[in-house]
Amino acid sequence: MKWLLFFGALIGAGICGQDKFFGDQVFRINVRNGDDIRKLTELVNLDHFKLNVWKSPSTFDRPVDILVPSVSLLPVKSFLKSQGLDYSVTIEDLQALLDSEDEEMLHNEGRERSGDFNYGSYHSLEAIYHEMDSIATDFPDLASRVKIGETFEKRPMYVLKFSTGGGKKRPAIWLNAGIHAREWISHATAIWTARKIVTDYQKDPAVTSILEKVDIFLLPVANPDGYVYTQSKNRLWRKTRSRIPGSRCIGADPNRNWNASFAGEGASDNPCSEVYHGPHPNSEVEVKSVVDFIQKHGNFKCFIDLHSYSQLLMYPYGYTVKKAPDAEELDDVARSAAEALASLSGTKYRVGPTCTTVYPASGSSVDWAYNNGIKYAFTFELRDTGHYGFLLPANQIIPTAEETWLGLKAIMEHVRDNLY
Amino acid sequence: MQPRRPPLPALLLSLWLLPRLALAAAAAAPADPEYNDVPGQPPAVGLPRGILQLAARAALHFFNYRAGSPSALRVLAAVQEGRAWVDPQKGCKVDLVFSTEQYNLEQEGEEHLGKCSARVFFKNEKPRPAINVTCTQLFDKVTRQEKDYLLYKQMKQLKTPLDIVSIPDSHGHIDPSLRPLWDLAFLGSSYVMWEKTTQFLHYYLVQLSSVKQLKTDDDSIDFDFTVLLHEFSTQEIIPCRIHLVWYPGKPLKVNYHCQELQSPEEGSGIVEGSAMAPNEFSNF
Repeated sequence: MKWLLFFGALIGAGICGQDKFFGDQVFRINVRNGDDIRKLTELVNLDHFKLNVWKSPSTFDRPVDILVPSVSLLPVKSFLKSQGLDYSVTIEDLQALLDSEDEEMLHNEGRERSGDFNYGSYHSLEAIYHEMDSIATDFPDLASRVKIGETFEKRPMYVLKFSTGGGKKRPAIWLNAGIHAREWISHATAIWTARKIVTDYQKDPAVTSILEKVDIFLLPVANPDGYVYTQSKNRLWRKTRSRIPGSRCIGADPNRNWNASFAGEGASDNPCSEVYHGPHPNSEVEVKSVVDFIQKHGNFKCFIDLHSYSQLLMYPYGYTVKKAPDAEELDDVARSAAEALASLSGTKYRVGPTCTTVYPASGSSVDWAYNNGIKYAFTFELRDTGHYGFLLPANQIIPTAEETWLGLKAIMEHVRDNLY
Repeated sequence: MQPRRPPLPALLLSLWLLPRLALAAAAAAPADPEYNDVPGQPPAVGLPRGILQLAARAALHFFNYRAGSPSALRVLAAVQEGRAWVDPQKGCKVDLVFSTEQYNLEQEGEEHLGKCSARVFFKNEKPRPAINVTCTQLFDKVTRQEKDYLLYKQMKQLKTPLDIVSIPDSHGHIDPSLRPLWDLAFLGSSYVMWEKTTQFLHYYLVQLSSVKQLKTDDDSIDFDFTVLLHEFSTQEIIPCRIHLVWYPGKPLKVNYHCQELQSPEEGSGIVEGSAMAPNEFSNF
C-alpha cells in the first residue's frame, strides 16, 4: 500500500480548504460481505483521500455511497479494482449537479413567491383564488381550476383538478380544506400542497405514479364566507355565514351538516351553537356543492379532510363507537401516514377512529364519504396541540405543510395500489 | 461502517415481555368500576373519552396557578401511565403520571422534560376538580425567581393605558415586548381553566383579547383583562374577564367572570361587559 501513502502526501496539500465540488464524484459500492466492509473501512479511514461516506450500509446487500474528491478519483478507482470491489459512478460531477439545483431553486423561489404569493404566510381569499388560477395557468396540461358552486354570500367555490388522464374519468381523490373558517393552517397547507403537486409531477416518482392512476381534486377553501369573516370581523369564527330561519344566530357547522347520522350525537340543534348541524342535511350550500359534485362524478375512492388543531389522524366513524368494516385497514394506513409525517420533524400524531379519538361527531364529511362508498376517508387535525391552537404562527406553515405532505402521499400511494 | 445489528438478546427479551405486560394489565382490571386506561386505547363504556389527557391538563393548570410563576409555566408533554375509575354516584377519579415541558418555548435553556404524578377527582360533572399533584423540578429555583422579577420589572415599564387589540394577533404573532403580558395572562387563565374543567369539558387559552386596566404604581401588578378560551368538545369560544394581582413569590389572587350563555346576536366571540364581584377574589 506504499503507493497510497505516496499519493496521499501529494493530494493532502491540494485538498485542504476545498469548499467547491468541481469534478468530484459519488461512487456507489456494492458490499457483499464483512470482508468487503472491512476493505472499504480501511479505504475510507485513510485521511488523505478525504472520502466522505454518504450512505453507510446497515445490511450486507445495501450499497455504500461515497463522495470521492476529484483528486482522489484515480487512486480510489485503482484500489477498488485491486480489491475486487464492484462500483458504479452515480454522480459524475457534484458541482455541476449543485449548480443546476441552485438554478432550479432560484427559479422555484421566484415561483414560490409567484408575484405576491408567499407560501409561508396566511392569505386573503382573493389571493388564494388568484394563486389557484396561476397554478392552473402555469401547468395547463396538469391542473385546472373548476368552479363547483357558490357560497351563501354568492362567492365562487373553486377546486383545483389535477389530472393526466386527458378527459377520461379516472378514480379520484378529494382533498378538503378550510371547512372550519378559523383553522387557517388548513387552507395554508392546502394551497402549498397544490403548488407541491404541480412542482413535483414528473420529478417525484410517487406523485407521478399516483397521477398516472388517479385524479386529485383539491378544495383549499371549503367555507369561503367563513374564511372572509375571520379575516375581517372575527378571527375565531367557525361556521358558515348562512341566515338560519327563525334565529338571530348565524351559520351552521359545515362539518355537522352532511347526511351521515345527521342530528345525532355530537351536534347541536341550537342555531347559536358552534356545532349547530343546520336545519337539514346539506342545508349549507357549501356542503351541497361538494356532495353534488362527488356524487355526479361517481368514482371517488378517497376523501381527506384537513382541520386544526390537535395533531390527530382519524378515520370513521365519528357518529358511533361501532367499528367501521374497514377499520383495520384504515388504521394501518393511518399509522403509516402518521409515521411518514413524523419522519420529517418528529411531529407526533395520534391515530384512531374519530368517535373515540377525539369526541362523537355526527353529520361529518368523512363519515358521509365513507358511507357513500369512498373507503379511504380520513380526517387530519393539523398542528399544534394547544399552544397556539388556531392562531398557529405563520412560520409554522411550511414545516406543517411539508410534513403533512408526507402523510398525504402515504395515503395516496396506498389508494393508488389498492383501487377497487 | 460495520453493519448495525440490533442486540439480539435485548430485542428478543422485549418481544417476549411486551405481550405479557399487556396481558397483566388486562388481567388486573376487574369487571366493575375500575378500568385500566392505557394511553392510546379506547376507554371502557362510561369513561369519558380522552379522560387521561384532560385530567393531566387540569392538574397542570392547577399546578401552574399554585406555583404562581409566569416564568415557570408547564405544559403537558405526554401521559405515561394512567388509571381511571368511574363511580356513577360519586364521580370520576383519575391517577396519572405524565411528562411536562416548559410553556415558553422561546425561553433559553431547560430543554429537558419534567415529570408529574397526580390524582384528579371530578365530582359528578361538576367543575373545580380536586387535584393532588407533585412534579419534579423543571426550572432552577434561582433562575426562575430572577426571571419572575425581570418579568415584573418589564410589566412595570409598560406604558399604560395599553392599546392592545389581540395577543397573539391573527397570524399567531406575539410581540416580544408584550410576551410578559401574555405569560401573566396565561397564569391567570390557568386558574380559570382549572376551575372550569369537568370530566367532559376542557379548555385551551386562545387569545388575550383586551386589556382593561394595568396598574403598576403599587408594588403588585394589578391586571384586568379579557381572554378567549376554546372549549372542548363544544367548540365554543368563551370570553372570560379576569382580574389578577401578582407579586413575584407571592400567591396569585384571581377574580373572574366568564360569559356562559350564548348571546343571540352572534355565535361566538362577542365580549359583553359583565358585572364582576368587586374586590373579592375568587380563590379566597
